[in-house]
Amino acid sequence: MTDRILITIAAAMTAALATAQVRTGDGQISASFETNTIYYADDKGLPGSTPDDHFGSNNYLKVDYTYKKLSAGIQLEGYFPALYGYELGQQENPKRFWLGSKYISWQDENFSVLAGNVYDQFGNGLIFRSYEDRQLGLNNSLEGISAGYDFSRFVSIKGMYGRPRLYTDYAGSWVRGLDLNISIADIFNWDAVMLYLEGSYVNRYESLDKDATYDFYSLGLDTPQLDMFSGSFNFAWKGLSVKGEYARKSKDLSTASSMKAAKGAAIFAEVVYTYKSLSVSGTFRMLDDMGTMLSLYGNGTGNSLNYLPSLTRQYTYMLANLNPYQVNVTGETAGQADIYYSLRSRHDRHRYWNFHANFAMAYTLSPAQSVTNKKQLLWNDVNFDIERQWNRNLKTILLFSRQEWSPSHGSESGTYVSNIFVGDITYKFDRKKSLRAEVQYLLSGDYEGDWVAGLLEFSFAPKWSIFASDMYNIEGTKKNYYNAGFSYTKGRTRIQLGYGRNRAGYICSGGVCRYSPAYTGLNISLTTSF
Amino acid sequence: MKFLIKAITLLALSVASYNVSAQTLPDVKVENAQGKEIRVHSLLTGKPLIISYWSIACKPCIQELNAINDAIEEWREEADFEVIAVSVDDVRMQANAKAKAASLGWDFTCVYDTNQELKRAMNVSLTPQSFIVDADGNIVFSHSGYTPGSEELLFDKILEIAQ
Repeated sequence: MTDRILITIAAAMTAALATAQVRTGDGQISASFETNTIYYADDKGLPGSTPDDHFGSNNYLKVDYTYKKLSAGIQLEGYFPALYGYELGQQENPKRFWLGSKYISWQDENFSVLAGNVYDQFGNGLIFRSYEDRQLGLNNSLEGISAGYDFSRFVSIKGMYGRPRLYTDYAGSWVRGLDLNISIADIFNWDAVMLYLEGSYVNRYESLDKDATYDFYSLGLDTPQLDMFSGSFNFAWKGLSVKGEYARKSKDLSTASSMKAAKGAAIFAEVVYTYKSLSVSGTFRMLDDMGTMLSLYGNGTGNSLNYLPSLTRQYTYMLANLNPYQVNVTGETAGQADIYYSLRSRHDRHRYWNFHANFAMAYTLSPAQSVTNKKQLLWNDVNFDIERQWNRNLKTILLFSRQEWSPSHGSESGTYVSNIFVGDITYKFDRKKSLRAEVQYLLSGDYEGDWVAGLLEFSFAPKWSIFASDMYNIEGTKKNYYNAGFSYTKGRTRIQLGYGRNRAGYICSGGVCRYSPAYTGLNISLTTSF
Repeated sequence: MKFLIKAITLLALSVASYNVSAQTLPDVKVENAQGKEIRVHSLLTGKPLIISYWSIACKPCIQELNAINDAIEEWREEADFEVIAVSVDDVRMQANAKAKAASLGWDFTCVYDTNQELKRAMNVSLTPQSFIVDADGNIVFSHSGYTPGSEELLFDKILEIAQ
């Protein structure tokens, strides 16, 4: 309890300083603080959903100092304990206060070097991406060193070496990598065209004999070295841009549950074309045993060295996100296409139509992934939305989505279909007051049947917002999942207080998902920075 | 642990004791709309800037940028300034973000912070988050979140520094 009081005092101190922007001589200090804290309430409607402690709190304090070309910083993290359902809380010590990240770096015009936690990405992330996602409790930065050098505009090279962070500890592996990027267009002085070629190499080293309970040799691994290569290009001309990447990896276990080591490969392609107010984009990706763990001895969403998100539409509506797709890293062919068109009045910028359609699909890569010995549909979503700004005060959005998904993740042939209808209206009473309302209906043949949902949000700009929402399962559990609360914003400080019941399911951020159990609770979140 | 928390509190107090002034815009690399890596400082034109963070999954961010775009002609009659929309969409949604930004006809510069290097450097914890940067590259104001009408706050600050 003393820790909680102290962290609250620290939070209050930081919040009190939030309006300050600080310069110390030629140096500058900036910082941010974030807390997400939940008091879990007993709920007879959700038996067994309350953690023993009734409490969870994830806290982050990041402080950076810059002096000319030198920068340094730390990130302190406190989990008292980690929020219910976060994989962080399933580690050996769910209560943890520690130095989660630190760095010191030097950046010149052409040269940069960093010692500490490295956040970087090679190519499109097929073989390496280190990043932080607090919503998922994920941080796979490398604790080590990285350096980069730009040879004029033509060539840039970067390299890194370190041990990856795994939740609130470090994995037992060591990762090193090199990335070379060449600007062909700059070499040949092509003004109208952009063309980059990029080559990357990543190696992971981890002893296979650290723990006698793991017998990796029997699964087909015979070396502690994992090698990954990729080659990519990035081309743009007028309104057209095209990207492509091919990656390979040596024999590895692609997930913690893999029963046999295998070589991996991946293909990624992306096209964007824009002409006036018409835009089209398409993304395709093939994955063959391309999942890559930070550590062979670890598991969970955070145990990932590369970035293989699902290629599906990201919705902001509750019912459209009820059954999000999770990528199948062992074998998948997936893609999505989007088309946007905007129809605008030449005389009034406050009157327009925005049209958007999206198609996303994912299939198993190999017939052997299913008991039917056929390739199976994993996910399919056909959706469109129409946004109409009628005048300065009124805006409406209509959305339809037809989602088909495999409950067995492709191992069997059956699928469920959901049809989702959404109406969204925003009305501005004057320059400060506005009301937004959503009505949603999900028509489904799955085990839970139909759902209905609604949301009301009243805002008094720029500081206050009050909201209430409910999601009700009509045919299955007949449960309400309600939420109500408010937010207050002043400058760079925002506080939100809410109370509600949350459904069990996958919480997704950036195409990566973690499972969250059902819970009811009082949630306070505060973010501030200076 | 208590020692560390006390250390944070002391650090915050010591920071407060320094003179208060503006921070400068970090000069990290981002991608422009064509996918070419550029430095953030190359976007400084000697005019005040509104920098607004957004992503495909952030509905209020897109609302805010649409609202700025709706009002920008009227605003520019009173003050000369630029707007930069920073997408924090990663490789999953970057193509989508580029297509959406182009279609919406945003009358300002769009850049793409694919691995969120600029977001980290500017200590942005959540989106929407908007900054006002003066003609010398100093960050003079910031605001988190968006509610319809709060874009006026940004323009008020632009008018303040333009005077």
